[in-house]
Order: sequence, then structure tokens, then C-alpha cells
Amino acid sequence: MTENIIKDLLQEADKIAGVPEQASIDIGIIRRRARKRYLMRTIAPLIAAAAVIILTISVWTLSFRTAKPVGDNDELARLQAQVKYLQARTDATLKLVQEMLQKEQKQRELEALQAQLESIGDPREEISQQVERTALILVFQADKMYREPGQKNSAMQAYSRVIELFPQSRWAKVARQRLLDIQNAENVTNLKGDSI
Amino acid sequence: MVVMTRATDEQLVEHFNRGDDSAFERIVEEYSADITVLANRLLGWPGEVEDVVQDVFLAVLVGLKNFRCECSLKTWLFTITINECRSRHRRMTRLLRLPKRAGKHCEPCSNGTADKNSMDRETFESIRTAVRALPAKYREPLVLRYLQELSMSQISSILGITENALQVRLSRARGLLKQRLSRLIEETL
Repeated sequence: MTENIIKDLLQEADKIAGVPEQASIDIGIIRRRARKRYLMRTIAPLIAAAAVIILTISVWTLSFRTAKPVGDNDELARLQAQVKYLQARTDATLKLVQEMLQKEQKQRELEALQAQLESIGDPREEISQQVERTALILVFQADKMYREPGQKNSAMQAYSRVIELFPQSRWAKVARQRLLDIQNAENVTNLKGDSI
Repeated sequence: MVVMTRATDEQLVEHFNRGDDSAFERIVEEYSADITVLANRLLGWPGEVEDVVQDVFLAVLVGLKNFRCECSLKTWLFTITINECRSRHRRMTRLLRLPKRAGKHCEPCSNGTADKNSMDRETFESIRTAVRALPAKYREPLVLRYLQELSMSQISSILGITENALQVRLSRARGLLKQRLSRLIEETL
């Protein structure tokens, strides 16, 4: 029993609270945030590694400078080679980071361009809509004429004009059908006249 | 019907994994309303839950490639919503511990139907306070069971607990609410 009362109270409170304002979800922002998160997860370790390497090199170089002169030339050469190798690795890592950042920048620019391109309407579509609209107006006027007494021929001419001017529009089909209907009606009238 | 939904979910995930961006858009379109309602209820009807919903879909976008369709997409989305609401609730609790600053005051949504209902504002506020004060482990089953009206098996799958544990939590949640709303319940009786 208490369960039902609690359920009713909760449901009534929910009703009072009403439907929440529908969240406007910007998918672009979500994608950008996801990409940023991904970059942070992939680039951050690389940057950290680069920092560690640079630090190691610095410490090494400093200790090398402060150390007593090494008599052994081979040891010196080996250390120099190691320093060079570490420097090369650091350069390569930094280059990779830069490349990834550039790639990300290019991707963002590409997306912006794509969005611009999508916002431009197709002129062919607009022309096609205009044609349909004009054909519709002509058919409408022809229908009006047909309903008026003594205007049947003018209406038929108007239908023919729609077929002639806009043969590809769907209103040309309608005009053809109207002409066919008028002809059929005439044939029926003629047959009735003959039989009388 | 359930089978059809599952198939659609799987198709959406498959399309997403194949790089079809519109699959994610379709998921947002289809489930954003449900998630908004659930988040609003879980956070105690603040009316404004846009940030939470954005965070939920960010988590969906990041994790969708790992979704294995072992449960329905809706169940998975509800689980994410619950997790996001828990984080949000924790942050809010932390903020409330700081010295109070002049800020937003939570109001019920403007499009509510207060005039048409018998419940007055004071009663609504006391229920809202009582529900908000419940620990998440009790508030979540209450919302999912009595407001979302999900089945016990669905809820246990979303919360990752057994049905027995869910029964216990529901019973304790009712007990806590009964204590806090004793006056209201007595009036109703």
C-alpha cells in the first residue's frame, strides 16, 4: 500500500516538474570534444616522453660538462653517439607531435569548408521548383477556365501549353490527364447525341 | 518487437563502426528525449540538463566502438546517463559544501502543469528535497522503477546488480522516503 502511495507521490511530483526543456544537442561540439579528448590521450604521453628525454639529455650534458676529462677517447665517442641518438629521437617525437597537430588543424579546416559547401543550395533544385510552381499555376488557371461556360477550348489550349512548355514536370502529366478526360467527356456526349 | 529493436541497434552500431557519421546522429535523434527525461528525474528535476545530455553523448561517441550489443542500446545509454548523473551529483554536492554564492536557484520547469494538479508547491518541494537527499543507490532504483517504469530485469541490468539486491534497495528507498515524507503519507492515507 505504501509502495503505491510513494509511487503516486513521485509520479505526481514528476508531473508538476513537467517535461524538461529539450536539450539542443550540437553534434559538432560533441565530435570536437571527443577529438580533443582523443588527442589529449594520444599526444600527452608523447609530450611527456619528449620532456623526459629532453630532461635526461640536459642532465647528461651537464654531468658530462662537469665531469672530469675522460681519458678514454672511445668512452667519449660512445657518449657523444648516445647523446646524438637521444637528440634524434627527441626531434622525431616532436616532429610527430607537430604533424599530428597540423593534421588536426587541416581536418578542422576541411570540416569548416564542408559545412560551408553544404550550406550552399543547389541552383538546379531551385529552378526545378520554379518550373513545377509555374506549371501548377498554369494548370490551376486552365482548370478555372474549364469550369467557366464557353471557355473549354481556351482551357484545352492552356493544358496543351503546359505539356508543350514543361513536358518533364508532373503537372504536364496532370494536364495530359485533363485533356484525356475532356476528350472522353466529348466522346460520351457525341455517342448520346447519336443514339438520340 | 524487441528483436526488431535489437537488430536496429546492432545495425546502427555496425554503421557507426564502418565510419557512417549519420549513425551517431540517428542515435542522438532517437534517444536524446529519453535521456533528457531520465537525467532530469535523476538530478531531482532541475529542468535544465543540457550539459549532462551533452556529456552522455560525448561518452557514447567515445565508447560506441567498444559496444558489443550484449544489452540493448537503450540500456547502455541509460547506464551512461546514470554514471554522468552520479558525477554531476558529486560535483554539485562538493560545490554546496563551499560557501554559498549567489547563483542559479533550481526551479521546476516552466512548462510544468502545476495549475492543473492538486499537489501544491510546498508538497512538491518536500518530495523533491526528499528524493534529492536519498543516496544515489536508492534514488536510482526509485526513478527507474516508478518514473521510468522499467522492468526489474532491465533495472538490474542497467545498475549492474542482481534482482534480489534491487528489491532490497527499493525497499530501503521506500523506507527512507516514508520516514521523510511521513506527514504527506499520513495525509494520503
